[in-house]
Amino acid sequence: MDLWTYIPQLLSSGITMGAIYALVALGFVTISRASQIINFAQGEFVMLGGVVTFFLLNGVKLPYPVAALAAIVVVVLIGFAMHLSVIYPLRKGSILILIMATLGVSIFLSSTSGLVFGTLPKALPPFTSEQPLQFWGISVLPQSMWVLLSTFILLIFLYLLSHRTLLGKAMEASSTDPLGADLLGISRNLMVFLAFGVSAGVGAFAGILITPIFFTSYSSGTLLGLKGFIAAVLGGWGKNSGAILGGFVLGIVESLSLIFIPSGYKDAVAFVILLLILYFRPKGILGSPFIDSRRW
Amino acid sequence: MVEKKKEFRRRDFFFLVPLWLLSLIAPDPYLYHKKEFRKKDLYYLVAICLGPLIWPDPHFHHLMVLAGIYAILALGLGLFMGYAGQISLGHAAFFGIGAYTTAILTTRYAFPTFLAFWASALSAALIAYLIGRPFLKLKGYFLALATLGFGEIFLVIVRESTHLTGGVIGIFGIPWFSVMGFSFDTYLKQYYLAWGVLTGLFIFSKNLVRSKVGRALLAVAASEDAASSVGIDVPKTKLDIFVLGSAFAGLAGSLFACVMSTANPEAFSLGFTTLIVMMVILGGMGTIYGPIAGAILLTWLMDSLSQYQQYSLPIYSVILILLLIFFPDGIGTRLNVRVIYLIGYWAKKKKRDEGKL
Repeated sequence: MDLWTYIPQLLSSGITMGAIYALVALGFVTISRASQIINFAQGEFVMLGGVVTFFLLNGVKLPYPVAALAAIVVVVLIGFAMHLSVIYPLRKGSILILIMATLGVSIFLSSTSGLVFGTLPKALPPFTSEQPLQFWGISVLPQSMWVLLSTFILLIFLYLLSHRTLLGKAMEASSTDPLGADLLGISRNLMVFLAFGVSAGVGAFAGILITPIFFTSYSSGTLLGLKGFIAAVLGGWGKNSGAILGGFVLGIVESLSLIFIPSGYKDAVAFVILLLILYFRPKGILGSPFIDSRRW
Repeated sequence: MVEKKKEFRRRDFFFLVPLWLLSLIAPDPYLYHKKEFRKKDLYYLVAICLGPLIWPDPHFHHLMVLAGIYAILALGLGLFMGYAGQISLGHAAFFGIGAYTTAILTTRYAFPTFLAFWASALSAALIAYLIGRPFLKLKGYFLALATLGFGEIFLVIVRESTHLTGGVIGIFGIPWFSVMGFSFDTYLKQYYLAWGVLTGLFIFSKNLVRSKVGRALLAVAASEDAASSVGIDVPKTKLDIFVLGSAFAGLAGSLFACVMSTANPEAFSLGFTTLIVMMVILGGMGTIYGPIAGAILLTWLMDSLSQYQQYSLPIYSVILILLLIFFPDGIGTRLNVRVIYLIGYWAKKKKRDEGKL
């Protein structure tokens, strides 16, 4: 009996977490739509978003919205710098080299942020009040509503960017048919460069949203990045809608799993889901444009 | 005229000496048709045997013990990644399985370490066999992700099952490795233990890659469709080498537990996997000398960086990225060719500068 009262509470926190996973997954998908590269440093962008905002807010004493915007700009610049210094020289490298290079960037960003901003976990103040709202006996943090709302707005923005503008179509063209994109005069390197900027911005945005709810420390990015990647695979690799669906499914399942298993095992749930989905349906729930019916 | 010829000869000799020296130490992956074990291998063996005696520094011995253990691990991974062309980011988990098997068997059930050593290899191989079938159907990024997921699950299980593995604190007081009452209790003895095991596994691997299995692995790496069309059982070949690499990792983990006398989960995290994969890449994919050279190099690098304390990780990652950018094929691969090219470039540049070309 006691168990069932928890379920709506877990569900609401699962949905909040799912929104964050969806945003991280969107970062992965944005890059993969332009270049078929998987950026294992995506989680570090999320971490940097939160940590840089904290620094600007408490160290430089900027007002909250300015600090958040400035942090997003800083992280976008870091994303550009990462492309120019690591991905561009390695653009002809094998998959393994790219994986290792992005893992190297991930180590660099997390350890450097630990050096620069300190290793203590950081928490931002919530956007509005800290008083939980009550809906039919479920208490919901106002920040969760902010997370959902901001995610929704960002999703619309990204949808318009990738489906309604020439830029988004050029990005997709350079991934699905590199030769054709070249023939049409689309600069593939420029597309990957822009994709890294967009994905870093989305990551930083997610980081700013999440830091008031969960503590962000210099080392928390890696796991978040991996879970976002799992969400992207779960929903359907390479699809924006798949990333969103996968994010919410992963967040809710992970949260509800607390009913059955001790909380320490929570991190393993995502990876078990990953193994199951890779074995039984590598295309993901919605199917993937990049993966044909054969196994990858 | 005569003078010019003389000058040419002198310069030629000057360039040939470093090349000859390089040919003594540089691995040469293109000499498949040559004899299995060359004089070069004998030089290596002598160097390994005499090295710690010439340089009697305990810190150096300890470092080389670690390098030897990592080399065993990297050798197994090199067979899987370099020869079969697959990607594994979960190899640290098999290392951990080996270490924990030894730790639990020796401290809880008072097994002799020699038996626990083989049990570690067996348990790692068994788990690799169980997960290998579904995993190895995946390719590229997705195989990397699946193995990485396995590594993370292993870490979570180790951290949480406190009654078995001691949680985040780990297991202490693992006895020294001992065979028939002979205990490997000094760094020098451990050095000979680790490098002895490595030499045995190296000879095994060297024979393996020149056998039918090794050729099949190269074929699978080149093209799975082509390999299956000439009658190679692709899934079985991949599974076999995965299990073999994991057994190597289990042996290495067992030695690691005995040498460090502790086993705790932080040693088997994603950072460690990155280190091991870097050893294989740096040494050069598709050689078996490469992973060993990479292991020595990176162990030494990590040790020399550890004096910078909190700056060591940023420096390490920058070096790692630079190595990937400038030596994507490994530092040893085609070293001879590259040196010849460089020498030619310098020589021509000198001529150009003098206005003779």
